Amino acid sequence: MHAFIQAVILGILTGGVYALMASGQTLIFGIMKVVNLAQGALVVLGAYLTYTLFTQLGIDPFLSILITTPLLFLVGVAVQWALLRPLHGDDVAQLSLLVTFAIALGIEGVLSFAYSATLTNVQPSYANFSWTVLGYQVSLVRFVAFVLSLVMLGALYFILQRTKFGRSVRATVQNPMSAQLLGVNANRVSALGFGLGAATAAAAGSVFGMLNSFNPGSHYDLISRLLTIVVLGGLGSIGGSVVAALVMGVASSVVSALASPIWSDFTFFIVLLLVLLIRPRGLFGARTRGAL
Amino acid sequence: MHLHIRRPGSRRARLLAAAATIAVGAVALAGCSSGSTVSSSSSPLKIGISLSLTGDFSDSGKAAQRGYDLWADVTNKAGGVLGRQVKLTIVDDASSPDQVVTNYTNLITQNKVDLVFGPYSSLLTVPASRVASRYHYAFIEPAGGGPSVFAQKLTNLFFVQPAPTTKGGDVFANYILSLPASQRPKTAGYAKLDDPFSAPIAESIQKRFEAAGIKTVYDQTYPAETADMTPIMSGMAAANPDVVIGGSQEADSFAQIKAMIQLKFNPKWLFESNGVNSPGDFPAAVGIANTEGAFSSADWYADSTIAGSTKFIADYTAKYGGTAQKIDPTSAEAYSAGLLLSQVAKKTGKIDNATIIKTLHTGTWPTLVGNLSWDQYGAPQGAYLLIQWINGKLTTVFPASTAQHAPVAPKPHWAG
Repeated sequence: MHAFIQAVILGILTGGVYALMASGQTLIFGIMKVVNLAQGALVVLGAYLTYTLFTQLGIDPFLSILITTPLLFLVGVAVQWALLRPLHGDDVAQLSLLVTFAIALGIEGVLSFAYSATLTNVQPSYANFSWTVLGYQVSLVRFVAFVLSLVMLGALYFILQRTKFGRSVRATVQNPMSAQLLGVNANRVSALGFGLGAATAAAAGSVFGMLNSFNPGSHYDLISRLLTIVVLGGLGSIGGSVVAALVMGVASSVVSALASPIWSDFTFFIVLLLVLLIRPRGLFGARTRGAL
Repeated sequence: MHLHIRRPGSRRARLLAAAATIAVGAVALAGCSSGSTVSSSSSPLKIGISLSLTGDFSDSGKAAQRGYDLWADVTNKAGGVLGRQVKLTIVDDASSPDQVVTNYTNLITQNKVDLVFGPYSSLLTVPASRVASRYHYAFIEPAGGGPSVFAQKLTNLFFVQPAPTTKGGDVFANYILSLPASQRPKTAGYAKLDDPFSAPIAESIQKRFEAAGIKTVYDQTYPAETADMTPIMSGMAAANPDVVIGGSQEADSFAQIKAMIQLKFNPKWLFESNGVNSPGDFPAAVGIANTEGAFSSADWYADSTIAGSTKFIADYTAKYGGTAQKIDPTSAEAYSAGLLLSQVAKKTGKIDNATIIKTLHTGTWPTLVGNLSWDQYGAPQGAYLLIQWINGKLTTVFPASTAQHAPVAPKPHWAG
């Protein structure tokens, strides 16, 4: 029982970090119908930025989020403006797959050139610290990361629900044509939306860099996890991706600890398959557009 | 002992390889002869090497290149091999097993090199050594020690490390079983990375421990894509073994240790087959204070007391800068491949492939990675050194004949 509860705690905390990454992914899909294969690479880019700020300037990895988030926001806006905006027509979804995959490979290439393929990680003094709560170990970094994810997700929710920009995003998601007719600047919404998605990757990247050793090729594993989370949660649903990330975190952790790590990812895919058989749109994918 | 698992991601390399294969075919049709003729004694000694200068293995490939280049420099300054200047031809295989075949075929048939040295990783050594064997070239290779290499039963191959990779942990078992029964661990836990190099190292230790009555209380194999080791190590912590054996590569060994620190689980003995033996990366990954007492095995490392190591470090830092601690063991292994060649030349007065193959099959050969001798298929017959982090430094602790310090057990508690 002790091992089970410990595994559930770990799973929830890990799931929170994936929730942050996946929320950006699903936001971008919701607004633009773009499956962003570069989200994992953006997370790794965020991790390397944090690493550089920490090792070169001594900036705390959590504080560096204040720098990396706006930076990657700008990168996201620039990428959308330069590479995704020019795509037109019915095949935008397919073309964007290729474009975002190219972006991922480009980021990986630049990072390999700048940092080499050696594994690295961000190691502040408190990286391995944990609290003992009722006999269970709670890692400081994981806990702060979880809280941070909640804060970031809260901020995202606020932006989408309470601001004019958020309203135009939701309008675009529900019906792009009507939104444009009502004066919403679709290009602007898309660029800012992509920027927001990239910004969540920056925040997640800082945490990812403290929790894992990473190299420029780490994004392949990440993106496959993110895509399964987003599909399980229902494409375009931020709430869904949060729930799915927690389900994945807990399922992987419990199976890993109590059965075998070999089965941990497989278990998640079984859950994904079952959910898709019963609900082809994922847990929270709405039948009508506009699940945000 | 650095071996890496191949990750997906060399599509471009495969395209290049296909193009290059066609090019080679065309040239071969034009009517070239092949063979391992050795040039006259005043001409330079041409040695061909394919290395992973780009792609997945590029870091280690470049480390091997530095070792080979340094040996050639040092040798040429001392007058060359039998009076002949060494000229290395190093070509890039982009970490691709297809390209490596093309490269060695080209080096032997087109560039007509006198000798060849091996590439990086078992994955590339297997196809490369077949090419060398076909042309009756000696294949001295510093970085292919997996079971697949020796399963080929090639008699021209010599692996320049103390033992096959899967026997990397045997020295730890030797140490534990050398203790009086009352001081030995009673229980053991194993966390094994599911790849051909890592899990077998732990299994080899496990077999001997179980035969000696050390009970297995936790045994888990994890796939290569496992990023988070915490759930596995929480299972390990619940089983609470006296000794933890990690059959690991670098990233996962760091992750195992970070997880143990966070779970506040401190075994009395901890052995990791890789990662912990990296003088720079390990303290950077877990913090120097947490390295204390961790065991691993190695052939060469910065504080190695082996003859020639000091000169190697001085030459290396003079040529490439940096510190001794930053030298990748792969550089010392590649350098040792060259040392073997120099010794054969000195002993026999000849430096052709048949002589090298025949000569290396007898006797023991001192190198930076120990005194080497091989079985008929090139598997080295020695053992790695047992090393332990003591006072923030990698220290040889076993066998006693080469030990700088007695092994420290039980392991001090994590610094957190």
